[in-house]
Amino acid sequence: MNRFVIADWEKCIGCNTCMAGCVDVHERAGLAAYPRLHVTRLENATMPLQCRNCDDAPCEKVCPVRAITFEDRSVQLNESVCIGCKLCALVCPFGAITPHGTKPRGEESLAYGHVLRVGPPMPQGEESPLYGTYPLMLPEPDLRPDAVHPLLQWLIGERTVAVKCDLCHWRPQGPECVRVCPTDALRLVDEDNVTELIEKRRVQTFHDHPAGG
Amino acid sequence: MPDAKTVCPYCGTGCSMRLITKGNQIVEVEADRESPVNEGNLCLKGYFGFHHVASPARLTTPMMRREDGRFAPAGWDAALDVVARKLADIKRESGPDAIVIFSTARSTNEENYVTQKFARAVLGTNNVDHCARLCHAPTTSGLEMTLGAGAMTNTIGELSRHSDVIFICGSNTAECHPIVASHVIKAKARGAKLIVADPRKNEMVKHADLWLGVPIGHDIPLLNAMMHVIIKEGLHKADFIREHTDGFDDLARAVANYPPERVSQMTGIPAEDLVKAGRWYANAGAASTLYAMGVTQFTCGTGNVVSIANLAVITGQIGRPGAGVCPLRGQNNIQGAGDLGAVPNEFPGCYKVTDDAARARFEKAWNSPLSSKIGLRLTEVPAAILDGKVRAVICDGENPMLTDPSTRHFARAVEKLDLLMVTDIFLSETARRAHVVLPACGWGGRKGTFINTERRVQRVRAAVRARGETKAAWWIFRSLSERLGFDGMRYRSPEDVWNEVRTVVPEQWGGVSYARLDKEPGVCHPCPTEDHPGTPILHVGGRFATPSGRAQLKPVLFDPVEVPESERKAFASPIVGHIAERPDADYPFIFTTGRVAAHYHTGNMTRRSPVLEQIAPEALFELNPEDARDLGLRDGEYIRVTTRRGSVVSKAWVTGRVSPKLVFGTFHYWETPANELTNSENLDPYCFIPEFKISAARVVKITPAEAQASVEAQRRYFRQDVEAAAIIAENAYLQSHGDAA
Ligand code: SF4
Ligand code: SF4
Ligand code: SF4
Repeated sequence: MNRFVIADWEKCIGCNTCMAGCVDVHERAGLAAYPRLHVTRLENATMPLQCRNCDDAPCEKVCPVRAITFEDRSVQLNESVCIGCKLCALVCPFGAITPHGTKPRGEESLAYGHVLRVGPPMPQGEESPLYGTYPLMLPEPDLRPDAVHPLLQWLIGERTVAVKCDLCHWRPQGPECVRVCPTDALRLVDEDNVTELIEKRRVQTFHDHPAGG
Repeated sequence: MPDAKTVCPYCGTGCSMRLITKGNQIVEVEADRESPVNEGNLCLKGYFGFHHVASPARLTTPMMRREDGRFAPAGWDAALDVVARKLADIKRESGPDAIVIFSTARSTNEENYVTQKFARAVLGTNNVDHCARLCHAPTTSGLEMTLGAGAMTNTIGELSRHSDVIFICGSNTAECHPIVASHVIKAKARGAKLIVADPRKNEMVKHADLWLGVPIGHDIPLLNAMMHVIIKEGLHKADFIREHTDGFDDLARAVANYPPERVSQMTGIPAEDLVKAGRWYANAGAASTLYAMGVTQFTCGTGNVVSIANLAVITGQIGRPGAGVCPLRGQNNIQGAGDLGAVPNEFPGCYKVTDDAARARFEKAWNSPLSSKIGLRLTEVPAAILDGKVRAVICDGENPMLTDPSTRHFARAVEKLDLLMVTDIFLSETARRAHVVLPACGWGGRKGTFINTERRVQRVRAAVRARGETKAAWWIFRSLSERLGFDGMRYRSPEDVWNEVRTVVPEQWGGVSYARLDKEPGVCHPCPTEDHPGTPILHVGGRFATPSGRAQLKPVLFDPVEVPESERKAFASPIVGHIAERPDADYPFIFTTGRVAAHYHTGNMTRRSPVLEQIAPEALFELNPEDARDLGLRDGEYIRVTTRRGSVVSKAWVTGRVSPKLVFGTFHYWETPANELTNSENLDPYCFIPEFKISAARVVKITPAEAQASVEAQRRYFRQDVEAAAIIAENAYLQSHGDAA
């Protein structure tokens, strides 16, 4: 059985710490700096949604270049192999895959310039020294026309790849979102948890409805 | 430098953390597992809000404005000489009260102490204030009036361990104090009940067992109705009231006028919910009320806070573990700044400047005559400048150009000043208008202590070497004091300053030595001696901190328009509330403000973190789907919100979180400076806080192109000084290369 991370809406306070942790840990690993889980707010409940690592994963089936594969009890997506065709995003029943633009190098230094950059100040004058000119601050109307669908929206010069939860598979301490969530709303589910839960529920069912009713 | 254990620089929760460094840079933040406050957790600001420390845009050298209006780098000596000379001239020509100092809740206790001492002992004025005026001033006035101490009565950890009912009234706890919210979630898992009173369906409402959808500003009738039910059903603690309080009869008479049925008509909250809330709260083994800006930022802010205290006192929900009144302070050291005397009416330790005995004590300690005249409050300063009464402002780390209500009014005033000296870590919108800008040594490089919302004094340690020529505020004021011929500030370190504080106000901090703070996870004041355990719970056993030792209950009356004379006259000195600016035909919406979890205030620090900026890159004003339909607006399109004071543009989030005709917006973004909309004219009569939370507004839909044009206009307004920015960039470049060498 594949493992997956899931949230408990009874504990989630919608603080977005999990999303921030996700961005940070992937950026440090040289992967797309984009959250792989999305805190989703309905009127009466809030929690992050992410990949369920389906055992019969439709995304794996449709990927034309085998960027998506089953590995180590999870579904992994190789961002270097991905050609950005977005088919997986269309078939995922949970909305767990987001095509996200990988910025060309020049732009990347703009985005994170004020942290990582060493060298003379950017020539644009006022912008860069102040807020490091974060290019996503507002969409420029002429660059970002109303797209047919948000899935198909990207900036010229970006290479779009599919981004999804990878369970932070390279980290011995496990998924970063689970670690940083201040209310313990997230947990990693694996075969043991599920077996345990099923056993408990069986006993509970027997207890509550001894006649099977 | 080695990794350092310190305290988060953002909200008043005061989470303890370890800064992991590489070379001279912070690379990671770890949560402190031993801390009783955060128990190994942090929110996203705590984890990812450190990038500003290494930003090349940091101010690293003093700058002075030249004749032609541009900035030029200057040495410390030159800059301080100019400031000292100007201060001396202005003091000679116009008296000490022509000078105002804005201290800041962002800096340490030590810095606040030195700042207010500089104002009082060196300049001779009580004109010193800080941003608490704009957030929890009603907490100080309201709780001092009733309980005798303007502070959270209990500790945060008691919520998860002891409280059976948690009543959140006007606090967006999940976004503004996520770690406090995590204790509420733990309490719920233990079986505690949660009541939330908020006009918005914020994240805590989703966890509430009972939601009271109180219309904005109507907390007094809500609380009066709860007390009405409690007294009518005999759920109040008569013995406790008799032994430990004064004024119950008047209060009972006042709340008799607020039966749930009437309040239900006034507020739209179902009467049975008001009854239920009153019963749950009164019957709880231990109940705590959490409140914040949703209660304080009104012209009746003091009345709201007094009502919360009334409710706690008559039910005996105070002075026990998990039972108390919990103002959640918004800033890392706002409790400390106020307690250390950075307010115009009080010395350190909350002694009144008008009290002769108190003055004598500080005159002796500081060896200097002190003024008995209450100084100007921050909110009175712009008018005083325009009247020519104030000629110099020293602004230490605040950014009133973005945070103060009705900012353009403030901008006009600032232009008239003879001296505006700004100390900051960045060239803030305010600094850009200064005559002299001094580079401050900010969090990461600064040492001292902070006091969190639960009165816990904690050590703040440096993880990196100070940037460039940056200096701490205590050093700056010490240097100015020497130039002005005062020699009572010979501090060599923050510890020197703190030890002076301990000897001057021993009843509060005498027992809180640096050595002790190194061993313990903070100490809650008052703590008079080294062997005193500190005071995690105030007012234990009904012994209140008022002069008489008894809680002072006060009748609080409310009507959105005006409380009728007849009702008012029935009481000797009632507190009376109303709403200053109600919606009308021209401005049919109510605009209100708040925060999101990812950002902090004007974003000068958090917006420099790529991670936080990615999570919340732009303002999202919340608008009800009904209103969106009327405006022909889809989620994610742009709106312009206009009030009598200004107009800003934002992306709209169409959501049922807000009720119809209510717009909620954040004030984090210079692109969408929400405080241009807020109201600075109507002030609370007790503590002078403006009514930030309610502005009558108009909302129209605009095109993305219009939105973009507005951002460009804001950029010109707030970021006009290209020259200054270029100098900073240059400094930063030299600096980073200097560092590398
Ligand atoms: S991305 Fe979607 S389809 Fe693919 S494994 Fe995850 S949840 Fe299943
Ligand atoms: S970190 Fe936890 S509480 Fe915060 S949004 Fe994510 S799941 Fe929810
Ligand atoms: S809850 Fe407040 S103090 Fe704690 S990490 Fe978050 S911002 Fe910092």
